[in-house]
Amino acid sequence: MVSASGTPLVRLENIVKKFGPFTALNGVSMDVYPGEVHALLGDNGAGKSTLIKILAGVYQPTSGQIHVEGNPVNFRTPRDATRAGVGTVYQDLALNQLMSVTRNFFMGREIYSGPAPIGIMKMDEMDRITHDEMIKIGIDISDPGQAVGTMSGGQRQTLAIARAIYFGAKVLILDEPTSALGQRQQMEVLKTIKRVRALGTIAIIFITHNEVHSKLVADRFTFLSLGEVIGSGVREGLAGDDIRRLMAGGAEMADLEMELATI
Amino acid sequence: MNQNSPKRTESDRRAKESRFGRLIRRPEIGAFSGMVVILVFLAVVAGDVVYNPLGIKNNLSIIGQLGIIAIGACLLMIAGEFDLSIGSMIGFAGMSMAMMMKWGLPFGLGEATPLTAFLLTMIMTLGIGCLIGNIVVRSGLSSFIVTLAFLFILRGLTEVCFREFNEGSTQISGLPDFKQDDFFAYLFGGEAFKWVFSLFYEIGWNVNRRGEQWVTGLDARVAWWMVLAMVTYIVLSRTQLGNWIYATGDNKESARANGVPVRQVKIGLFMFTAFCATLFAACQVFDTNTADAAKGNLKELEAIAAAVVGGTVMTGGFGSILGVIFGAVIFGLVQNSVFYISWIDGSYYRVFLGTVLLIAAFGNENIRKRITGGI
Ligand SMILES: Nc1ncnc2c1ncn2[C@@H]1O[C@H](COP(=O)(O)OP(=O)(O)OP(=O)(O)O)[C@@H](O)[C@H]1O
Ligand SMILES: [Mg+2]
Repeated sequence: MVSASGTPLVRLENIVKKFGPFTALNGVSMDVYPGEVHALLGDNGAGKSTLIKILAGVYQPTSGQIHVEGNPVNFRTPRDATRAGVGTVYQDLALNQLMSVTRNFFMGREIYSGPAPIGIMKMDEMDRITHDEMIKIGIDISDPGQAVGTMSGGQRQTLAIARAIYFGAKVLILDEPTSALGQRQQMEVLKTIKRVRALGTIAIIFITHNEVHSKLVADRFTFLSLGEVIGSGVREGLAGDDIRRLMAGGAEMADLEMELATI
Repeated sequence: MNQNSPKRTESDRRAKESRFGRLIRRPEIGAFSGMVVILVFLAVVAGDVVYNPLGIKNNLSIIGQLGIIAIGACLLMIAGEFDLSIGSMIGFAGMSMAMMMKWGLPFGLGEATPLTAFLLTMIMTLGIGCLIGNIVVRSGLSSFIVTLAFLFILRGLTEVCFREFNEGSTQISGLPDFKQDDFFAYLFGGEAFKWVFSLFYEIGWNVNRRGEQWVTGLDARVAWWMVLAMVTYIVLSRTQLGNWIYATGDNKESARANGVPVRQVKIGLFMFTAFCATLFAACQVFDTNTADAAKGNLKELEAIAAAVVGGTVMTGGFGSILGVIFGAVIFGLVQNSVFYISWIDGSYYRVFLGTVLLIAAFGNENIRKRITGGI
């Protein structure tokens, strides 16, 4: 089930990020494979968001190299990252509440015929694609004209994910997608993550503080503490309380420097 | 454990709506009902003066005039900005055109024709609109303040120009009646839908006391309003640009993150309100052959009010052209027609409009909360 064979879709190599005198990341490496969910775990301030912002082109690393599909890349803007297939679903999801599902799905990338900004949108086609893409990852929206503001948090999350995938994301970064949701909707998002994983071609980086969630969906784990990797491994190699301890920064376990085998 | 049967699907949760049900949930329904109520009320209390050919012509003239600038204000408001300079822009554009017609083109360009006066003025007003838009998007200042500044600046400049170049007078009157033999002037100042009124005459309705045809046609501005409404309706509801306008006003950060050129949209719409104001002024100048430094005073507020009554949400992201059409009809009718009703003090119309505005704003806010409230 773990496709550790082949090249990783994304390889982060010795990423260092300094904010002035402060070292937020101190040489972090991480491999992400297609068809896998890679949980990025760690205490508050460990550097998770900083790491994925570097991958998403928001920050430039102080040193270190990113590879996408084996090729070294240099993201100077978020747009560069999007073009290379790194899709980020941020906490606010970049959705517009008053607009319909379809209009959000195609916002800025409308399908139209005619001259550029005043081309007539092909609303039926866009409705159909939106509906189909959402079904693929498990949400059946009955009315593509529904305003996004009236959707549930889980549905919105799914919409943002479906949109990122449709517009070419090969790596999907989800920064705490379940944190603001109720129990049921958290499950909805986890189901969506599993369905995206089942597509087989997309790599998912999943940041969470919820141990249970990470165990439910992740194939591979990386634990950060104080800007360094303090452990990593595949699901089978980790006992339940390892995860909990590593998530807390491995504080009380001096011998937790060990690399977890089976990589 | 309490489990749902697995056979239920998402679409089962949405009750089938009848066509009527969908209709009454449309956001324009409030403005539409308001319009119907007023039309019926006027029919009852003053039907003979409101619903005769002259009443129709006069009312539509006021409505169309307001409607033109209300459409501009509405689009800009959907994109999340205000333009308080519309009224002063009308005064400025009217001054500019009338002065050129009277004293010739500036910079020694020679005699003016209605076409050249209009084009030169349009270039200036679009330039000012572009400047306003650039200041707003680059400074991040509220458009309320920036356009308030231009309300004063443009009105002041208009007066200064009049005094400087028009022998000290802030009015121009008695220009030749250009629309008589200049087609371009006729486009703005002439009449439209003459055939409808001929038809009315044929069927014996549009007849004056001497047995001749009474009203010959509608003011051209009504036709301009209709054209503008039709074009903007398609642009807003059907085109990519329309999607960008909504996206910009709803949440400009997420619009930008998805690649919508937010700044260009806003600057373009500030230029569009300037375009609407110039169109308004051209219709006025070539119809009456006069101009006055005070023209257009307070029109920006009426335009914004008509947009709000038509269901446009003040904070942006929501509104429609259909709504602003109804809004303009309500405003124009009430403003004009109460004067036909002898037992009402005409100034009550302001009281009434203020109340309607308040009710509409409450209603819009309700719609916005209904949509954005639930997480
Ligand atoms: N722009 C910045 N300038 C200075 N320091 C920063 C900046 N961004 C992040 N940091 C610091 O870097 C460290 C890592 O922050 P980061 O946001 O990556 O943590 P995190 O692992 O995502 O935490 P959380 O779980 O709370 O989201 C923190 O100590 C933070 O204060
Ligand atoms: Mg974080």
